[in-house]
Amino acid sequence: MVPLLLAAAAAAAMPEGPLDFKAKDMRIEPQQRRVLLDGDVQLARGDLRVFGQHAVAEYGDDPQAQAATKKPPKRKRTRQEATLAGQSVQRFTVEGNVHVQRGTRTADGDRGVVDMPAQTMVLTGTPAVPPVVRDGSETLSGERILIRLDSEDLDVVRPKVVLKRSMAEEGHAKPAVPVRVEADRLVLLHARKLARFTEDVVIHRGDAVVRSPRMDARYDAEGQLTLLELRGGVDVRQGERRATGQTADYDAKARTLVLQGDPKLYDQGDVLTGDRIDLALDSKEVRVEKAKGRLRPEAHKGEGSGQ
Amino acid sequence: MGSQIASAFSGVIALALVAGCGKPESPTISPISLPEDAPDLSLKGVAFARLAEGRVVARGTADRLDYRRSGGRLEATYGAATLYPQPGTNLASFGATRVVAARVEGEVPARRGTASSGVRLDALRGDTARTEQVHLDGDVLRTDKRVAARGPGYQVDGNGLFARTDGSVIQFTGGVVGKLQAGTR
Repeated sequence: MVPLLLAAAAAAAMPEGPLDFKAKDMRIEPQQRRVLLDGDVQLARGDLRVFGQHAVAEYGDDPQAQAATKKPPKRKRTRQEATLAGQSVQRFTVEGNVHVQRGTRTADGDRGVVDMPAQTMVLTGTPAVPPVVRDGSETLSGERILIRLDSEDLDVVRPKVVLKRSMAEEGHAKPAVPVRVEADRLVLLHARKLARFTEDVVIHRGDAVVRSPRMDARYDAEGQLTLLELRGGVDVRQGERRATGQTADYDAKARTLVLQGDPKLYDQGDVLTGDRIDLALDSKEVRVEKAKGRLRPEAHKGEGSGQ
Repeated sequence: MGSQIASAFSGVIALALVAGCGKPESPTISPISLPEDAPDLSLKGVAFARLAEGRVVARGTADRLDYRRSGGRLEATYGAATLYPQPGTNLASFGATRVVAARVEGEVPARRGTASSGVRLDALRGDTARTEQVHLDGDVLRTDKRVAARGPGYQVDGNGLFARTDGSVIQFTGGVVGKLQAGTR
């Protein structure tokens, strides 16, 4: 989901104009300044389509209309503006099998809240069925997904992500290994082709588990993962081996993890340090630059004898 | 909105009740020429005001109003009423509301009636609604005809209407399509 989302065409802000709707019934509550839509609700504005079973549109004062009452309008208002102006929907909430479409992307949840002035939509679900954003066959889910409608950036609480498109690098005979990421927070910055995971980031790739407080995933124009940048302290475990450092960069094409900032490698009682430690996650080869260390030969007695 | 239409009915119905208390014969119609279904009272160029607790709550006109004692039936043509909702009520936010219908039929005791042939509503707040026919039954106003309405921040075309005369429910039914004015940054 992440790469496709970031590779998509640049998003435009939601167009100006009214919100089109369809439903079975519509109830107006002028005292509460709201409109309720029920039954197969469809809402559309520009290329954004939102579907659900119920919707509540809450009105607020239209700043443009208020300004118009203070100053005479400079241009003649269109018929539609003239008839709809005065109050405008500031927020609408859609509930019940919420489905969102915009371009090639879709999202689903149990409840969606659109803040019109902020141009955001917050999707939530249930513990059993969390909200999800889809692009083709790829999905991104989490406890809560905030979609910025003006930029298509995403802010996800407790995301669950599989970086599928990081798997298909050229020149590797072996089938690719999925990279699964957990974190408390994910922010997808569309324009920067960046996915920023923060707070207790855990990356699973095969038998390797990497932990760090923060990770940036960078993508190329085609949406392929190019680089994972882990910062703020990194802990890597793969089988019996453990490595630590202040920073780590994972090169998706080379499939190597480079630890820097007082890097250390712990392996069967050996402790190696150096300027830099390169871990090849597929072959499990390790390269240490300017290595210094403490080796425990007794731990390697059986090595090289074919045992 | 719909409930104001209902209140307009009430106004016209009240007028008929008041009129019904007078002599049944119309001075302009000869009793000899009365057909079997002739009204007991027929008025032309009617104007009325409805008072409640010393306050005008509705006023209106009709080109013609016929009343039959049997069943308390009334018929009005080209009726128009302006309703003044009591402050603080559900209807108050609409402001004074004018309701027009080319034809109104009703049964006063049963509090039942039908307005038809171009029913129009215009509220001071800016709400307008149009439909071909609407029925009042007790405190419920409903139609299964097309309704086109618009007002501050909305515009809707529906295939029916269900409303309570106190304004507590105003619902467009049977499939609705429309637009909501949406805020921007």
